[in-house]
Amino acid sequence: MIILGIFIWVLISAFIAFLAKNRSSAFSRISTLITLAAILIYSVLRFSSGYTGGFLSQSNIALSPSLGIYFSIGVSGFADSLLILTGIIFAAAVFVTDKKQYPPSMFLLILLTEAGMLGLLISRNFLFFYVFWELVLIPVYFILGKFGGPRKDRVSLKFFVYTHIASIFMLLSIFALYSYYDLQYGVLTFQMDLLLSAMQNPAFTATLPLIAKDFILFGFVFSFLVKLPSFPVHAWLADSYEQAPYPGTIILAGALSAMGGYGLFGILFPFGGLIGTAGLDILVVLGLISVSYFALTAMFQQSLKRMMAYASAASMGFVTLAFASAFLDPVKSENALIAASGGMFQVATHGIIMLLVFASIYYILVKTGSDRIPSLGGIYRDAPFLSTILLGGLLASLGLPGLAGFIGEFSIIVGSYQVIGYWIFLLIFGMLITASYHIWAAQKALYGPYNEKLGKISDITGAPLAMLIIVFTVILVLGIFPVLFFGPIQAYAHGILFGGII
Amino acid sequence: MTFDINQLAFYYPMLVLGAAGFLILALGIFRLKSRIYSTVAMGAFVVSFLLILMEWYGILPFSVSAGTQFNGFGFYFALLFLVSSGFITYPALRNIAARSEIFYALLLFVTTGMLVAAFSYNLITLFIAFEAVSIGTYIIAGFHKTKKTLESAIKYFFTGTVATAFIIFGLSYFYLSTGTFSLTGALKISSTPDMLIALAFLVIGFGFKLAIFPMHQWAIDTYDGTENSVSSFLSTGSKLVAFMIMLKVFVVGFSGLDSYVYVFFAIIAVATMTYANVAALSQNNLKKLLAYSSVAQAGYLILVFAVTGYAPGTTAAEYAIAAGMLYSLVYIFMKGGAFLTMNIFKSDRISVDDISGLAKRSPGVALSFSIILLSLAGIPLTGGFLAKFFLFLSLVQGGLWWLAVVAILNSAISVFYYFRVMMFMYWRQGTGEDKFDLSIQNRLPVYFSAIVVVVLFFIFGLFFSILPLVGGV
Repeated sequence: MIILGIFIWVLISAFIAFLAKNRSSAFSRISTLITLAAILIYSVLRFSSGYTGGFLSQSNIALSPSLGIYFSIGVSGFADSLLILTGIIFAAAVFVTDKKQYPPSMFLLILLTEAGMLGLLISRNFLFFYVFWELVLIPVYFILGKFGGPRKDRVSLKFFVYTHIASIFMLLSIFALYSYYDLQYGVLTFQMDLLLSAMQNPAFTATLPLIAKDFILFGFVFSFLVKLPSFPVHAWLADSYEQAPYPGTIILAGALSAMGGYGLFGILFPFGGLIGTAGLDILVVLGLISVSYFALTAMFQQSLKRMMAYASAASMGFVTLAFASAFLDPVKSENALIAASGGMFQVATHGIIMLLVFASIYYILVKTGSDRIPSLGGIYRDAPFLSTILLGGLLASLGLPGLAGFIGEFSIIVGSYQVIGYWIFLLIFGMLITASYHIWAAQKALYGPYNEKLGKISDITGAPLAMLIIVFTVILVLGIFPVLFFGPIQAYAHGILFGGII
Repeated sequence: MTFDINQLAFYYPMLVLGAAGFLILALGIFRLKSRIYSTVAMGAFVVSFLLILMEWYGILPFSVSAGTQFNGFGFYFALLFLVSSGFITYPALRNIAARSEIFYALLLFVTTGMLVAAFSYNLITLFIAFEAVSIGTYIIAGFHKTKKTLESAIKYFFTGTVATAFIIFGLSYFYLSTGTFSLTGALKISSTPDMLIALAFLVIGFGFKLAIFPMHQWAIDTYDGTENSVSSFLSTGSKLVAFMIMLKVFVVGFSGLDSYVYVFFAIIAVATMTYANVAALSQNNLKKLLAYSSVAQAGYLILVFAVTGYAPGTTAAEYAIAAGMLYSLVYIFMKGGAFLTMNIFKSDRISVDDISGLAKRSPGVALSFSIILLSLAGIPLTGGFLAKFFLFLSLVQGGLWWLAVVAILNSAISVFYYFRVMMFMYWRQGTGEDKFDLSIQNRLPVYFSAIVVVVLFFIFGLFFSILPLVGGV
């Protein structure tokens, strides 16, 4: 029940923040910090020891039992790491929202997005999962469309329609599951644990017609790939990231892409028997293309924001790859476990890394008035702390050992080598390019001769510096003690792969 | 349908409405204020509503025997019709100034016709009730005599008459091949070709009223031209009568020809949804945009017939009909509310641009209108989502995958134009001159429909309470 309390708290505080007028900013900061603290306490209580997969804190509130509609909640080891991520992301997003620049409605929208994210991660009923999945979009649409850049009208609409189409395909898949479950067992239910355990039951999956199987998988996979985003459904990505105001970009890159990852590993992963192996090669290919293609695209971007948008998509390519190889592994060995856990770890840490990167780019914009690489240059001279932290973020993003980004990518490469074989060269190629443009961007923007057109700039101090250092510390700690996230995640993956625990 | 004196009590709701209609006409001699007529009409609607509720739950003070035709299905739709008429009673005051007693008397007569249709299972009675509704609405459409209203009323009248001819022709062929006008018993079809002719003509005839492609063009002009509350009524109440009659005719009357019904309606539904949604994309006139959206919504509604035709007698068919009934309920508030929102504009010609700056001027109205638009687009936390949700669920259950995909793509297209309106409302600055008339009687219907639309989402069980009523079709 703690987790339900946290969800309701966020929902209520969204409206309090709106009504608080002049104190919106202060209240939201305190509120998100309380949320983060509550999530951390909850995680320590539930996941610090004795967790062996499955879902904790389950409870059902019956709304329409005859139709199988319950407000049902539960948290898995993976969802928990994303809960922590959500807490961090939104605390930071509220922190970088300048109260002079934005009205109270901005804080309402941010906190509503957080409530939607939390609801999504704890829902154990497909109806509510879908409702939250859609509800996250609406405040983000308003953040983008109301406070975005010059092309906000088109971009916000593009973002919404793209993701909305994806979600309604998922809705159809949910319907299909619901109807076939009804046909087989005569029970109407949207409950995830019932539907997912049916998915693992060969007697049930054998009754599904082939077209239904394909349709169900397509709906889910399509919806999640759009959110990640993966090649070739990434068209909304760069525009939205670029045009969104910085708090919006942080939410998009940190939280919304984690939604796609959660979909793949939290919803689709337990499907087990239904997925089989046919057609998964496509996902491997898409993952490989995503990694290398987005890396190449990022290399040619002039805007730091746009470049990191593609970098974010490239690291999500690893997640697609991890998902597919966990299923393609012929003997379901430790490799599958490592690939899957690595994928989930990547989802969680990618959000924090993107948070650090985009937050530091935001402060660079505040201090210098630009976030384009050609108009920066040598800002290390005047702003050493800011530059160093951005460098830290970039290094984490390119996967430097010792930082959090490395753990996920390394596990995925180790785990998926058995499956992709020599095609791994595409991955290495992508990583090489990733490393090169990250370093190149740092070199151009942060080091080298000082760009005198910028005038005199100042370094960050005080609270923003402390915030960035804390986020960097989290990345560092996760890089050195990955078991903090890796433990529960691996237990969850182990439970599903070997124990049949949903 | 035989008349049983014990059933007289079931006719009280209609009698109340009719009597109130004549009462208002009589009061017209004294040239009272419009507000008095509207209150009498509203009173009649409320009394009739309560009577029907009492009949439905069997708590009449005297014993009556319910005939087969007075069933939950009829009661449900009768209540819907009363709600849709009552919904516009007060908002209509805004523009219906001259001779308003005629307007309200006609509204009452039209509603009487609707109630008769709700309880009838005989094609002749259904046709007469349908005509009573049509003729009344022809006159209502012409009220608030400007050139534009008259033009739209005339358009409505001429196309409506053609539709009547089609219906009569179709009915005669129906009689030829079945030998009966009654929809209660099992039908013996003696000649399939004749029945197909009847099917085609009845689809076209009733399709005119429901404004489905390609019989929709009058609706665009009429909804645009008539007074806002009349457009609201035409696109909710009078449309739902057609929908309900079609449920009776095509689900029961053509039960031997299900595969044909499926083909017919699948094609028309796809064409209606796609055409209307695409046409609405490039529409700059706000009322026309709502009119196209209303046509598109009719396209979703007739998906019901595709399911009942494709999988007759299954749970999917029951789900589809129940979803259609739920959709009708939500539809009254989302579409009616959307048209009534147009009352906040001072001018009659409203372009999408005119709504700019509404969010600054009145955040409450802007939020409510956004909720209504979100509901029309089928976004969660609104009744529109729940209605679409069950409708698409029934499509998938019935195995109509392709139709579900088409419908869903269409509902994605519709997001574009609904969100465009919201975009203007929130993010565009107004021109400075005050285009809005935000008096309380203009705002109330908007708030009210938005609240109802949200509340309907949270009553998940409603669908399940509607489901047993389906047997009454």
